[in-house]
Amino acid sequence: MKGRGWAVGIAAAALIPVLGLLLLVLWMGFWQNGPGEPVVYTLGHYRKIFSDPFTYKTFLNTIGFAATAVLAALFFAVPTAWLVERTDLPGKNLILLLVTLGALLPTFFTAMGWVFLLHPRIGIVNRYLMDLFALDAAPLNIASIAGMGWVEGLGLSSIAFILVVATYRTMDPSLEEAARVHGLGILRTLRYVTLPLTFPGIIAAAIYVFTIALSAFEVPAIIGMSNKIFTFSTFIFYKIQPLEELPSYGVAGAVSTVLIVLALLLSWSYFRVLRFSHRYAVVTGKAYRPRLVELGAAGRTFAWLFLGFYFIVAKLLPFLLLVWAALLRYFQPPSRAALEQVSLNNFYGLPWKLLLQGAWNTVILMMTVPTITLLLCLAISWTVLRSGLRWRLVFDAVAFLPHAVPHLILAIAAMFATLFLLHNAFSLYGSLAILVFVYTVSRISFATRIINNSLAQIHPELEEAAFVGGLRLFQVMRKILVPLLKPALVYAWIWMALLCYRELTMASVLVTSQSNVTLPMIVWSLWLGGSLNQAAAANLVVLAFMLPAVLLYFVFARRNRIAEAA
Amino acid sequence: MISIAGLGKNFVSGDSAVAALQGINLEVGRGEFFVLLGPSGSGKTTLLRCVAGLEKPDDGEIALDGKPVFSRRRRLCAAPEQRGLGMVFQSYAIWPHLTVAENIGLVLTHGRARLSKQAAAERIRESLALVQLEDYENRPARLLSGGQQQRVALARALAVNSALLLMDEPLSNLDARLREEVRANIKKLATQLGSTVLYVTHDQIEAMVLADRIAVMARGEILQVGNPFELYRRPANALVAEFFGSINWIGGQMGDGPWVETEVGRLAVGDAGYAGAVVVGIRPEDVRLERAFNGGENRIEGKVARSTFLGDQIVTEVKLGEKTLLAKSPPDGGPFAEPITVHLPRERLVVFPERAARLAE
Repeated sequence: MKGRGWAVGIAAAALIPVLGLLLLVLWMGFWQNGPGEPVVYTLGHYRKIFSDPFTYKTFLNTIGFAATAVLAALFFAVPTAWLVERTDLPGKNLILLLVTLGALLPTFFTAMGWVFLLHPRIGIVNRYLMDLFALDAAPLNIASIAGMGWVEGLGLSSIAFILVVATYRTMDPSLEEAARVHGLGILRTLRYVTLPLTFPGIIAAAIYVFTIALSAFEVPAIIGMSNKIFTFSTFIFYKIQPLEELPSYGVAGAVSTVLIVLALLLSWSYFRVLRFSHRYAVVTGKAYRPRLVELGAAGRTFAWLFLGFYFIVAKLLPFLLLVWAALLRYFQPPSRAALEQVSLNNFYGLPWKLLLQGAWNTVILMMTVPTITLLLCLAISWTVLRSGLRWRLVFDAVAFLPHAVPHLILAIAAMFATLFLLHNAFSLYGSLAILVFVYTVSRISFATRIINNSLAQIHPELEEAAFVGGLRLFQVMRKILVPLLKPALVYAWIWMALLCYRELTMASVLVTSQSNVTLPMIVWSLWLGGSLNQAAAANLVVLAFMLPAVLLYFVFARRNRIAEAA
Repeated sequence: MISIAGLGKNFVSGDSAVAALQGINLEVGRGEFFVLLGPSGSGKTTLLRCVAGLEKPDDGEIALDGKPVFSRRRRLCAAPEQRGLGMVFQSYAIWPHLTVAENIGLVLTHGRARLSKQAAAERIRESLALVQLEDYENRPARLLSGGQQQRVALARALAVNSALLLMDEPLSNLDARLREEVRANIKKLATQLGSTVLYVTHDQIEAMVLADRIAVMARGEILQVGNPFELYRRPANALVAEFFGSINWIGGQMGDGPWVETEVGRLAVGDAGYAGAVVVGIRPEDVRLERAFNGGENRIEGKVARSTFLGDQIVTEVKLGEKTLLAKSPPDGGPFAEPITVHLPRERLVVFPERAARLAE
């Protein structure tokens, strides 16, 4: 095959930065001195974090936060998945689309809404409860581990839903039918057949969600940091952008290393459990739909109440609270007095010039990152699946790393590199290019996985026929593979563009100037600066900018029934 | 045991509705081994699933053992678990998280019977003995081979002591040798236990070996019900004739008497009761080849295009003018050579209107 060397070369060039960033983090953890001084190695940072009680408190916080998030996510995801996959509930396509789309709603958006709802001082619900029962202190507190976990869980429920639905789909429906025919009722079938069989899949989803929550940044940053409740991610962030002291890259590197090890262990156990659950998956090849459980009037009402509650707490309530906050100068519960103060002043007062700059930068990111990522990942996928290269599985493993390694840490490593290693060669610090670079690296796992799945469905003989006909690899890719992979590529492109749009975690580290500011960053700086109501207004503007992209996704999903593919 | 009247079922795919079953009427007697036979898409599995309650019909009535379980008119549709059935699925549907004994025990202790642990253990041993799997009680079900899973599925269906057993292509995932063995065992058990069996298959040999009666289905309709001999010798239409073994078709016009003017000449037939364009059919083993020129009724001079000796039979392609017929003859005398006479015995000819035969293609 002419051109194999090129493809493998491009794949390697895409994956070397992944390893580079990881090694950089490890190295950081052993670096004693501040930047600009001669390098001295030390174990001091590790000694320090392992002897500091604050580390253990943060560790417990993080575990509690992630565990709450898993519980909240599964609480909504599992029943919703069952209703969509196994009952005769009408309107399933809409539910499927809404929930999938929910995965794209920025978490910082809902987090802000929940602060207005349940904050101990300003939260509406707390104020009402205190007035109603004449309480001295707020009964509910969102600025707690449980509260933050709840909000994170709401955000992750979409991903949990997609994973649990997949478990139902790979399960042979006749396993449940056999129970029904031989005399087990709906509930007994659920208890003795459906739940035990989907259990490994649900556990796998739990581990997956737990891994994400463990390094989640947005919710702890929006809700926790100003209330001095830290998880690992905000702790690391605080170490490199402290308010009072000097940045401590060494400690950040050491904590990051611990977090990476944890995340890799979790990813490993995820695949173990997943393999176990696949032992239960039976592909019958028979295309009849499973018998749908008839809910009846009462069951249907209950199902709609449940789904309505889910939709309201996860999407509608935070949104309404943001709208209300955006219309007020100072946040207060709805009342006649408050209504008289409603105005659009927050919108007039927004830093519009900065917002336009942010919008422009965000659009550039949305155009470049998915495109570059797809081109690189096409080379990686081809190397892994088709090159016959002996090292192809190494490529596969490295391509998976950006999924397991917290994105905040990737960003910190890149920032460190631009600030202290490359500053003489390139001035990337504070540039849009560094955002493009890190965003691209962070999406390699996602894109490779999608292209791998699609490429595996294409028979290699389709390409071999072209090679025999004398086409070179580049032409085969352009004329045969890309057209055949098109639905998957378009889907991955749109999805990555939307993820770029909402990205705050990596931006929080890498955006250091006006020239590379992004929209979520503007919202967050307003929030951190204490202008909560202006931040709410900015958030709504950002959401409005996002609408065209979401519409594009809707149209595409309609045409390709993507909700099913996902 | 099963009475079905006016049963209809549509599948909605996209904007169009496809009729999966239309106007099905069927009576299956107690203790009968009844086979639903048809090509894929004929509606046989849908009919079985309607009886099981796994599919909800749009129209008609179903009664099991005299008790109605579905009636559109009375807005009645009993859930599967209320129908008291045993069923073997095509994929076997053996629960992979349970052992062999637990697979059977679950339906005994938590199904309709609600047996005690001891009574269930007794029944599990009995039913495993029926399928010769006594030593496998504690084996995790997912470690069984396909053939063993099939037997566990059979044992589970038998264990509930249902008067009615449903089987959805239970042998289609087994290899040929095993299939014959299990087929014999199913027939033996059904006779021994006196169960009524409703059995779905697309394999006409399987149907003929097992069935007391067969319903041949196509496009959601029952074409003919009868025992294997009737279906083979007296097919109700061209489609049934083609579904049971191969057949030669010869086009022609009905004459003024009991004969047909065909493309190979005048053929005497029994009284067909049709007029106009018809097709005459004859099975290859009924085509007699005679090693000389002979005259007589339905005897035509032919040319041998190819004659192959297969040991137990001789397969010959003969040309009657433009028309090629396939003949299967006893192996005496070796392959055929010219001169040859083709004899199409009048009592072996079947005649159908041409329009109906076209539908079969």
